[in-house]
Amino acid sequence: MALFDQRPAYAHEPTVAPIEHRFSPYSDNGGTILAIAGADFAVIAGDTRQSEGYSIQTRYARKVWQLTDNATLATNGFAADGKNFVKRVKQRLEWYEHAHHKPMGLKAIARMIQTMLYGRRFFPYYVYNILGGIEEDGTGAVYSFDPVGSYEREACRAAGAAQSLVQPFLDNQIYFKNQTPAPGAEAFVPGRLPMATVLGLVVDSFTSATERHIEVGDGLEMYVVMKEGRQTTDLTDEGQLPAGMKVEELGSMGEGRGEKTFLVSMPLKRD
Amino acid sequence: MNHHPGAWGQPLPAHAQFDMFNPGQSYRQAPKAAPITHTQQPLVTGTSVLGIKYEGGVMLAADNLASYGSLARFRDIQRLHPLGKQTVIAASGDMSDFQWLKKELDSILREENGLSLTDSHPSLSPQHIYDFLANLFYARRSKMNPLWNAMLVGGWDNKKNESFLGFVDLLGTTYSAPTLATGYGAHIATPLLREAYEDKAGIDGKGPLLTAEEAEKVLADCMKVLFYRDARSINKYQTATVTSEGVKISDSKSVETEWGFAESLRGYGAQNQ
Amino acid sequence: MSSIGTGYDLSVSTYSPDGRLFQVEYANKAVEAAGVAIGLKCTDGVILATERLLHSKLLVKGANRRIQSVDDHIGMATAGLLADGKHLGSRAREEAGSFRENYNDPITVQILADRLSGYTQAYTCYGSVRPFGISTLVAGVDKTGPRLFCIEPSGVHYGYRATAAGKGKALAKTELEKLLGAREGGIGVKEGVDEVARIIHLVHDDNKDKDFELEMTWVCEASGWKHAAVPQELLVEAERKARAALEEGMEED
Repeated sequence: MALFDQRPAYAHEPTVAPIEHRFSPYSDNGGTILAIAGADFAVIAGDTRQSEGYSIQTRYARKVWQLTDNATLATNGFAADGKNFVKRVKQRLEWYEHAHHKPMGLKAIARMIQTMLYGRRFFPYYVYNILGGIEEDGTGAVYSFDPVGSYEREACRAAGAAQSLVQPFLDNQIYFKNQTPAPGAEAFVPGRLPMATVLGLVVDSFTSATERHIEVGDGLEMYVVMKEGRQTTDLTDEGQLPAGMKVEELGSMGEGRGEKTFLVSMPLKRD
Repeated sequence: MNHHPGAWGQPLPAHAQFDMFNPGQSYRQAPKAAPITHTQQPLVTGTSVLGIKYEGGVMLAADNLASYGSLARFRDIQRLHPLGKQTVIAASGDMSDFQWLKKELDSILREENGLSLTDSHPSLSPQHIYDFLANLFYARRSKMNPLWNAMLVGGWDNKKNESFLGFVDLLGTTYSAPTLATGYGAHIATPLLREAYEDKAGIDGKGPLLTAEEAEKVLADCMKVLFYRDARSINKYQTATVTSEGVKISDSKSVETEWGFAESLRGYGAQNQ
Repeated sequence: MSSIGTGYDLSVSTYSPDGRLFQVEYANKAVEAAGVAIGLKCTDGVILATERLLHSKLLVKGANRRIQSVDDHIGMATAGLLADGKHLGSRAREEAGSFRENYNDPITVQILADRLSGYTQAYTCYGSVRPFGISTLVAGVDKTGPRLFCIEPSGVHYGYRATAAGKGKALAKTELEKLLGAREGGIGVKEGVDEVARIIHLVHDDNKDKDFELEMTWVCEASGWKHAAVPQELLVEAERKARAALEEGMEED
C-alpha cells in the first residue's frame, strides 16, 4: 500500500486556480541611457521619455542627474527606484561634504554606489546606473553598474531598453571592434576621440534607437563634463554642434577644481 | 515569581516549571515566526481620473462611482478632495485606502494650519503635498504594503504663479505632464487630452493654453468616451478647478449620450434572426 | 514669604502643615508676572487677547506669540512661562487630533479644557516635576455654542463669560464685569474686539510696564467659525479707539 501513501503532486492541485492579484513592487519605465569617456571629458546622456507598457506616461522625465562638479549619474529601469536611489546618493554626498569639507571623488562615488546597491541585494533597486565624470587624475571616466552593484570602469556603456541596439554600435565606434587599422597606421586606442565626434555618436545612437525602439524618444539630454582648463569653445561656439541643440552651462555646485558641466539638449521624434 | 517584563500579568500554566536559576529563559515559548503578510487587493474601486492644465489653472475630473468588482456599488462617491486653498487630489483605485489618505492628509493640514498662526509659516504648496504623497506611496510599496491607488495632484503655486499637475501610484512611480490620466483613461483619454492641448499650445507647450471653458469641454468629451467604453464608469462626474482664486469642486454633472446605434448591434438590441 | 526656609516649598509631593502646596503657589507668581491675557465670550463668538510685553526693542514684530491654535475651531492664550504654554499647546493639539481620530467629530471646548486640566493637575502630584507656570484661556465655538475656560497651575478649570489672567487681571476682571453687567443680553464680537482692546490698554501702565503688542484672535462668523487672527485693519481701528477712550478718561479725572 506504500504506493498510495503519497498521492502524486498533480492530485493536490486544484483544477481551477483562483485568480490571485499578487502585488509586484516593480515596473519597467523604458528609455535608454548612454555614457562615453573622452581623454579629458565625459558625456552622459539619456532620453526623456517615461513609459509603462505601450503607454507614454510623460514626454519629459529626467534620467540624468548632476551629482557634483565632476560627476553625473544616469539611471534607467524602474523610475521610482531610480529617483529614490539618486535622492539617497545625493544625501550621502552631502553628508560626505559636511564631514570632509570637499566633494567626493568620482571613484569614491562609484564604490559608494556599489555598496548602496549591494545593501539592497535581497530587495534590489531595479535600476541600471551609469556614472560619468572626471577622475582625480583628470581623465574622463565612465563607470557602469548592474542593479545589485557589480561595477567596472569602461570607455563607454549603453543601458536600458535600447542597450542591445546601441552597445554594438558603440563597440564598433568606440572600441573599434571589427575594424583594422590601415597598414602602417597607428593602432586604435579607445577613449581618445574628440568631443565633436563623441557628441555625434551619441546623437546618432539616440536618433537610431528612437527609430527602432518604441520606448525611446521625445527628447535627448546630454551632460558634458569637462576637465578644468579645457577649451569649451567646441561646445559653445556657433556651428560646432548640429542645428537645433540647446546648450546650457550648469553653474558650479561647490568648491571643485574648476570642472565644468554643460547640458546639451535636443528634441527626438515623438512617435 | 517570574519578574521578566514579558511575563507580567501572565499566570503560570499548570504544567509549567519555573526555572529560578534562569529567570530570563521564560517558560513562555518564543512566538512562532509567522510571515508578515500585507499585500491586499483592491476591493471597492474607482476608475480613471483625468487632469489638464489650462490658462490660469488646472482642472481635474472623476466620476462618482465606487465599484465592488463589476458591481456598481456606490454611485454617489466624491473622488476629488481639496487640501487647503491651492491643492486638489483625485483618486482612482482602492477607495478605502483613499479614505484613509484623506483623513491622514486632513489631519496634517489641520496641524500645519494651526501652527501657522503662531509661527506664521507659509501653508503647504501643491509641490509639498505631492512630494509627501510620492514618499508615502514609495515607502508603502517598499514595505510590500502598498496604498492601492493612482492619484493626480492638481494645484496652483501662489509663489511661482503657475499651475501644478502630478501623478503618483501604488509603486511610487511619479511623473508630471500638462495632461494626465490614470487607469483606463491613460489609454482612452490621454490621446484626446494631448491632442486638444497641443492643438493650441503646440508640442513645445509654448503657445496659448486652453481657456477654462475649452478645458471643461475636452474633459466632458473624455468623460463621455470613457462612459461609452469603460464598463466601470458612470455618467455622473465632477470637475475640480484650482486657480489663484482657490479650489472649486463642481456639482455632479452628466453628458449627453446616444445609444440608438446599439439597437443594430448583434447581442445588444432585439435579435432579428 | 512664610514658606521660605520651612522646607515645605521644595516639592509638590509635600504639603505644608497647613495643607498648602507652595510650588503651586509659586507657579501662580510666574503667571502674575506675565502680561495680561483676556478671554471674552460673546453672543456670536469668542475673543482671545494678550498684552505681549516686549522685553527688547530688537524683537521682530509679531514674534513670540502667546495665542495658539488648537484645532480649527479652538484657540488658547497663555499667561506665564511662554515655553510651558507652547508645551501645553502641543498637548492640546494632540488631544484635539486624537479626539477627531477616535470619534470623527471635532472636540468640544469643555472636553478639551477638562483633559488639559487633568494633564496640568498631574504636574502637581510628583516630586520629579514642577507645576506649569501658566494660566491658560481656552476658547472656541463648538456644537454647544461659544465657550471659554481658564485653567490654573493647580489644574482647576472654570467656565467663564469673560476672564483674565496675568498682571493686572483684577482690574481687567472688574472692567469685564462692568462691561457684561451693563449688557443684559451679552455683547457681540464686533463690539467685543473694541472693548477687549480698550481693557488691555487700560490695564497697561505706560509709565511702569514695558512696551507691548496687542495680539487678538477670535472664532466667529466673520472668521468662518475658525480660530483666526482678528484682521489687522480691525485691530488697528480698535487700538485707535482704545487710546482715544483712555485719553478721554484721563481728561475727566
